[in-house]
Amino acid sequence: MAVLEIHNLTKYYKAHLALDDVSLKLRSGEIVAVIGRSGAGKTTLLRCVNRMIEPSSGRIEFEGVDIRRLGRSALREYRTHIGMIFQHFNLVPRQTVMENVLNGRLGHKSTLAGIAGIYSADEHSMARSVLEQLDLADQAEKRCDQLSGGQKQRVGIARALVQEPRLILCDEPIASLDPRSAKAIMDYLFRISRKMDISILINLHQVDVAIKYADRIVGIREGCVVFDGDPKNLKKRKVAEIYGCDVDDIHFEDSTGGDAMFN
Amino acid sequence: MWATVAALAAITAYGLFTLDSNGVNIPDAIGETLRNFRTIFLHPESRRLSAGAAAWELLLTVAQAILITLFSGLVSLGLGLLGARNLAPKPLTQAIKAVIAVVRAIPSILWVLIFAVAAGLGSTAAVLGLSMHSIGYLTKAYAESFESLDYGVVEALQAVGANWWQIVFQAVLPSSSTYLLSWTFLRFEMNFTNVVAMGAAAGAAGIGFDLFMASSLYFDLGELGLITYFVLAFAILLEIVAIRVKAVLKER
Repeated sequence: MAVLEIHNLTKYYKAHLALDDVSLKLRSGEIVAVIGRSGAGKTTLLRCVNRMIEPSSGRIEFEGVDIRRLGRSALREYRTHIGMIFQHFNLVPRQTVMENVLNGRLGHKSTLAGIAGIYSADEHSMARSVLEQLDLADQAEKRCDQLSGGQKQRVGIARALVQEPRLILCDEPIASLDPRSAKAIMDYLFRISRKMDISILINLHQVDVAIKYADRIVGIREGCVVFDGDPKNLKKRKVAEIYGCDVDDIHFEDSTGGDAMFN
Repeated sequence: MWATVAALAAITAYGLFTLDSNGVNIPDAIGETLRNFRTIFLHPESRRLSAGAAAWELLLTVAQAILITLFSGLVSLGLGLLGARNLAPKPLTQAIKAVIAVVRAIPSILWVLIFAVAAGLGSTAAVLGLSMHSIGYLTKAYAESFESLDYGVVEALQAVGANWWQIVFQAVLPSSSTYLLSWTFLRFEMNFTNVVAMGAAAGAAGIGFDLFMASSLYFDLGELGLITYFVLAFAILLEIVAIRVKAVLKER
């Protein structure tokens, strides 16, 4: 069953065409990686899904509901079903790990309870078990500005998980991490998706990472989908087309192998 | 540029020669002034004002400063949130910033006089008038503290479905509390000195009024000196407390 269906999505920034007639389907529990050059429209696509950016035209359906018609409070309710993970983590630096994770519950709470930061015992135990899954249980009381990049991204994932999402959007989640932390983050995301049946739509720079982890790869060039299919079918020629460069400049092994770090 | 300097020099020379000194003997006047300064600063003494009364008057002054800071701080917090570009729609922030700029452009003494029309000269007019200028200052400072915040944090909480109030209380205020407090404390010090000045100029109660009485009613230079030292000592005390508070806040 399709969790997310995007039909003919188009986005203009004034006269600039950022997304051109993009259509895309995401099944339950599926990991779809979006690759493309900087400025190709990856981030715009991702942010149109939870309407952090308003699409210009097209249809976006989440579990059968057309999300472009939602009013303000319905939109907030809808966003609680969708986690989002950012390149720069976007945690509140002066709050503790636990407080940041609990922020993920804000959409489920009344305004007053959210303002006062009052969380139920259930929510606390849920946050603790999520932190345990991400091997952060011993960091719960630490302030977030004292964590390493990889730990911060794990807190970001934990914040998304306590939302009990059915879809997680990841905007370049490993772009500012060292290779080891990056691999760890990808492993966590992969495991979460498989175990909890959560769909993941992820923007990536690294083609080899996309090939290793994704069930499907979508290549975007200048706002258009130029590839949508199984990672096995992504050939060097296609990658060169997506990135607009020479085939000789592509340094990865198609279909068979990948980068040493990610094997 | 030389033309400007020459013009200014000419105006200065003209001013000096045509100054109406009104029969004042300048060397004598300078000597007298210095002698007055010597009495004020080297022979502070009190004939009318007891230490207890002075402390009480000082307390009144501080109380007014606290009242002004509290009042303007609360109003500015609201206005600052609505005036921050990353938290409110653009037309609203621009309107607030424009109004606040006008409020700040009017000198505080003028605000006190404006309120004196309704409240009469005295501490009520002083507190209200000084609050206006304080609001103008703090709103700008608060709004800029909020704007310097990483917008990604606000976006992240929007993405989990949090509403505006929740975002303000869970992300914006915790992240900017250090800035807010240090601006508020700075303004408190300014409010304190302003209240002293208003005590003298607008008849608001407090140590400033005693200063005014000592100087223009009793011509008691020794008492003037004593009060000046009193205010100075308290200002230094405030400064020390401010430094301590900031140090503690930084650690947290």
